[in-house]
Amino acid sequence: MITLPDQEQLFKIISRNLSSDVTTYAFGGTAMMFYGYKGETKDIDLFFEDESQRKPLIQAIESMGYAEFSPLRIYIPEKLRDPHRPKMFKRDDERFDLFVKKIFKTVMSQRMKDDVYAVHEFKENKRLTVKVLRTEIIVMLKAVTERDKDFEDILTIIKKDKNFNWDYFLDEVVWQSQNGDSWVALDTEKMMKELQEYVFIPEKHFKRVHGAV
Amino acid sequence: MDRKKYELLWKLEGLHTVETAAEKLGITRQATLNLLCRLKKEQHVTVSGGGRIKRIYKITIRKQLPRVPGMFDIINKYSPHMKLNPWYDHQVHGRYGPEEALIDAIQTENFRVILASLHLFKHIKNWPRLYRMAKEKNCWQKVGALYDVARLFMRVHQIGSRYLKVITKKWVALTQLRKKNFPEIAGRWKVYIPFNEHDMVEL
Repeated sequence: MITLPDQEQLFKIISRNLSSDVTTYAFGGTAMMFYGYKGETKDIDLFFEDESQRKPLIQAIESMGYAEFSPLRIYIPEKLRDPHRPKMFKRDDERFDLFVKKIFKTVMSQRMKDDVYAVHEFKENKRLTVKVLRTEIIVMLKAVTERDKDFEDILTIIKKDKNFNWDYFLDEVVWQSQNGDSWVALDTEKMMKELQEYVFIPEKHFKRVHGAV
Repeated sequence: MDRKKYELLWKLEGLHTVETAAEKLGITRQATLNLLCRLKKEQHVTVSGGGRIKRIYKITIRKQLPRVPGMFDIINKYSPHMKLNPWYDHQVHGRYGPEEALIDAIQTENFRVILASLHLFKHIKNWPRLYRMAKEKNCWQKVGALYDVARLFMRVHQIGSRYLKVITKKWVALTQLRKKNFPEIAGRWKVYIPFNEHDMVEL
């Protein structure tokens, strides 16, 4: 487990070890910590637009003692067969899940990139820019990744965020569906059905998801 | 978070004075103050005002984490009249001053951000550093043009003449607006300057 101050310290050390400036997008537990939704996380989920951005970060964390390991038992088998599964690195309790170009079948839309919640820059030798995605996007990506505790995190966000924008969320799900992500609508529907036991979700939202399947 | 605390925060989330919070909860002023103090320790409350200004309590369900300053904070600190309402939370962990903020402001290509950032020229002390960073980002041409515009309206430290050589022939734009306001400066630096003299009144 890693706490927010530890995570900030870790990013600073990474920026010290980078060979060039890197820009990445944070989602999952990392992003939730930047929001203040939770105090600690076990995995640092990062997304890179291309391999040239991911490579310097991998070199930096490897020089810090992180070693690559298999995503077996972390992701379900269908996701493991996907060519866009993450590269995973581990040292003690902390784990990096590093995605490039796609998060399984989900692409980074222009709207995702433009509507970031926060930008944290860590400057030592080089600049590590961590862009934190909106809560709606975090929920969608957590529905897609389907790991242990992902649903718990979704529930935390929905319960704590009074301004969760369902229309924005569903617009993105529909867009992803229309742009090649065959899983997102199914995963979202499954997640919303589970969520319905805890929070009220109007029927019209389900209709939009069904329309996208 | 236990259910009782969650319901309390859900009820209170938003901006409050002691009186409005007390009214909403139906408890005394002193009990409300004690409660707000406890929530503040748990990072759910931040306070602004105090002294002669009425205290406003910002209450949220999620924790309000301590911040480090970013571009918007630096611009708002040095721009006396024109303030920016950030549309994302920008924080920089490491060395960050007016020089860095000016470069970041130019990179946004946003009219209001660039206009408000003109005040930063008054606070730039390390010109070689600014020059080096601008060259890295390939925007010295824009910095030079903004410097000349800023000098028309405010007192700015003088920059060394060696930095003011213009070698480029290619026109660049600060924002999407391709206007040649301040024609002499625009022509000299080959930069489209989007704001005019009336916009400078806002500064």
